Amino acid sequence: MASPVVAQRPAETPAGPGRRRRPGVGRRDHLIGWLLIAPALVYFIIFLLYPALAALYYSFTEWDLHSAPIWVGLQNYTDLFFDDVKYPHFWKSIQVTLQYTLVAVPLTLVAALGQALLINTIRRGSNLFRLLLFLPVVTAEAAVGAIWRWLYDPQYGLVNAVLGLVGIPRQNWLNTPELVIPALAFIAAWQCGISMIIYLAGLKSIPESIREAAVIDGAGPVQRFFKVVVPMLRPTTFYLVVTGIIAALQVFGLVYVIFSGGGNRSVTGGPEQSGLAYVLHIYLYAFRYNAMGAACAMSFILLVFIMIITFVQFKFMKQEAS
Amino acid sequence: MIRRVTGAAAAAVLLAGLAACGGGSEEGGAGSATELTYWMFQDRTPQAGEVVEKIRTDFEKANPGVKVNIVKIPKDDYNTKLGSALAGNTVPDVGILDQPLVSRFAQEGTIKEVPAGTLNEADFWEGALNTNKVGGKLYGFPIDHTAVALFYNKALVPTPPKTWDELKSISAGIHQKDPKVAGIVVPKGDGYGAWMWPGVVGGAGGQMVDEANKKILFDQPQAVEALQLWVDLLPSSPREITDSDQAFANGLAGMMISGPWDVATIKDQFPDLDFNVAPLPYKTTPAGNIGGENAVVFTKGKNEALAWKWLQHLTNATNNTTLAQALGGFPVNKEAAERDAATFGEQQQAFLEQLKVAQARPAIPQWIQINDEIIAPALESALSGKMTAQESLTDAANKTRALLGWNS
Repeated sequence: MASPVVAQRPAETPAGPGRRRRPGVGRRDHLIGWLLIAPALVYFIIFLLYPALAALYYSFTEWDLHSAPIWVGLQNYTDLFFDDVKYPHFWKSIQVTLQYTLVAVPLTLVAALGQALLINTIRRGSNLFRLLLFLPVVTAEAAVGAIWRWLYDPQYGLVNAVLGLVGIPRQNWLNTPELVIPALAFIAAWQCGISMIIYLAGLKSIPESIREAAVIDGAGPVQRFFKVVVPMLRPTTFYLVVTGIIAALQVFGLVYVIFSGGGNRSVTGGPEQSGLAYVLHIYLYAFRYNAMGAACAMSFILLVFIMIITFVQFKFMKQEAS
Repeated sequence: MIRRVTGAAAAAVLLAGLAACGGGSEEGGAGSATELTYWMFQDRTPQAGEVVEKIRTDFEKANPGVKVNIVKIPKDDYNTKLGSALAGNTVPDVGILDQPLVSRFAQEGTIKEVPAGTLNEADFWEGALNTNKVGGKLYGFPIDHTAVALFYNKALVPTPPKTWDELKSISAGIHQKDPKVAGIVVPKGDGYGAWMWPGVVGGAGGQMVDEANKKILFDQPQAVEALQLWVDLLPSSPREITDSDQAFANGLAGMMISGPWDVATIKDQFPDLDFNVAPLPYKTTPAGNIGGENAVVFTKGKNEALAWKWLQHLTNATNNTTLAQALGGFPVNKEAAERDAATFGEQQQAFLEQLKVAQARPAIPQWIQINDEIIAPALESALSGKMTAQESLTDAANKTRALLGWNS
């Protein structure tokens, strides 16, 4: 969806007036076309479209997966929004997810751009550093959870040890409600490898001539960064903001492994629900409390919300390089 | 070119069709034996595979022409898989079911009531049996059960506390002696803590609910005292110490409340730690919580009579101890438990004691949700000092009443 934004829009290829159509071939072309996209189409219909439509249907029912669904109309939706006895942490999960998105997305982009700039600058070993910085992305989520629970450990954790060097007192990161979101966002920023690679590609595509022109005009490194690099990277940034927000609003694996990975830790979303991400909330209702209908309704609320947010971004954010 | 592509596509379709046919005929070739499908959690102990296999072959020998097909599923995925199977009409005949799900499944009619004469109630521990009861009727067999008890570090706690007062004074003493060490790992206000807490409420003579009269009781004085106990333990057991990974095993806390699974883990990873396990301290009455595995017969399954026979086989005095040990729990069959008590290690004896006084969770279909979404946050608000124990429990009880539509 967003790929045409990254790539420079190709100039319209003029529809060649001289292109002749041989009679009878068009229909056959169509057939082959359909045949070639058939696997993708079948996959799309069976594994994406049908489940999505089924979920839409179930969102209007009360369904526990075992007995026949009961049609309840809009009740799941109204209860989610207004009945805090039935869904005591629905609004809390929205608040947590929005806070997480607001902190994690900018942090990830800054980290990714920083890393990309560093790799772009060094002459030797850039491949090695690129590999090392990309490693967190390919690390299994369960391992990420284990690693960071150790790093954030209130007694032995490396994070506290490092902060202690500059005089910041020990914190109980994952068990203090106010610190949970920043702690999670920091892990997300550590996993910024994909954004870093995309930024790197963006940096490489900035023409050398522009940089040289800026140097000749007497622009220092800081000025060059803000007047040349940032504006030229705008399409990349736009793409990363859009996809980053979509991903952050759907964060699940990270909170799940951080708060449940240690065997008997509970999945209820951290201290005082401070890490209860929206999708974790969906998961709990779908598979722990047997309320699949309500869970489907929640996922549709999320879908609509994401569509609105994305639409607003396309409408009001500057996308073109300048 | 075009022709070649079409040809290749046709060939591919043809091949796929042939492959499908091949698969079909193979399946049809299976023997004519009566097949019983049993679902269980994936092995969690090294000996589990062997033990279950022996029990299965014994059963097949005793019942000629019967084949038991055992399907093992990771515990974390079990309920999801079972839910999909039930929705897709591919249910097993008989299988493990989480204790708190029994009441929901029974009320929906997803599982069958145990026919009279299938199970002799006097043969089983009452707490374990009660986890299968809904409205006084029995809906499943207990297979193994488990409970939490008090782990103590012998170097810090020479004699384990029996009462709440002793518990508080020992905890305070440990922290006073060395401020870097906590008295006890106080459970948290999360789903796991809320699962253990009823055992403490029971220790003050209280109960969570009175199902028969539809009364919520966890805002009564006994429950408030139980929560206050945890609050009172916090000053001598600071969270910044006990939140550290494996605080007890690392010697950073004198005591913790946990289950038998941690005995094996600690022995394996911390061979130097000198620890033992004692029954939970209590105020007025010895009590404890209960967990473990039940097995039920599914309404949509086949071979019902055989399924009950299989469950009798799993829980008889001969098999139940080895099976329970292989599942990481304790035998539910009294005869087996009493006969084999000595085969359990020193650290396991406390759990056997604890299970005799264990109380089943309320048989309310929404209980998991109440446990996680209402009771757990209430415990946390009191433990974090945001509310008093009484305030938070009154609030939680009122929310539960509203959710269940109960008046008192």
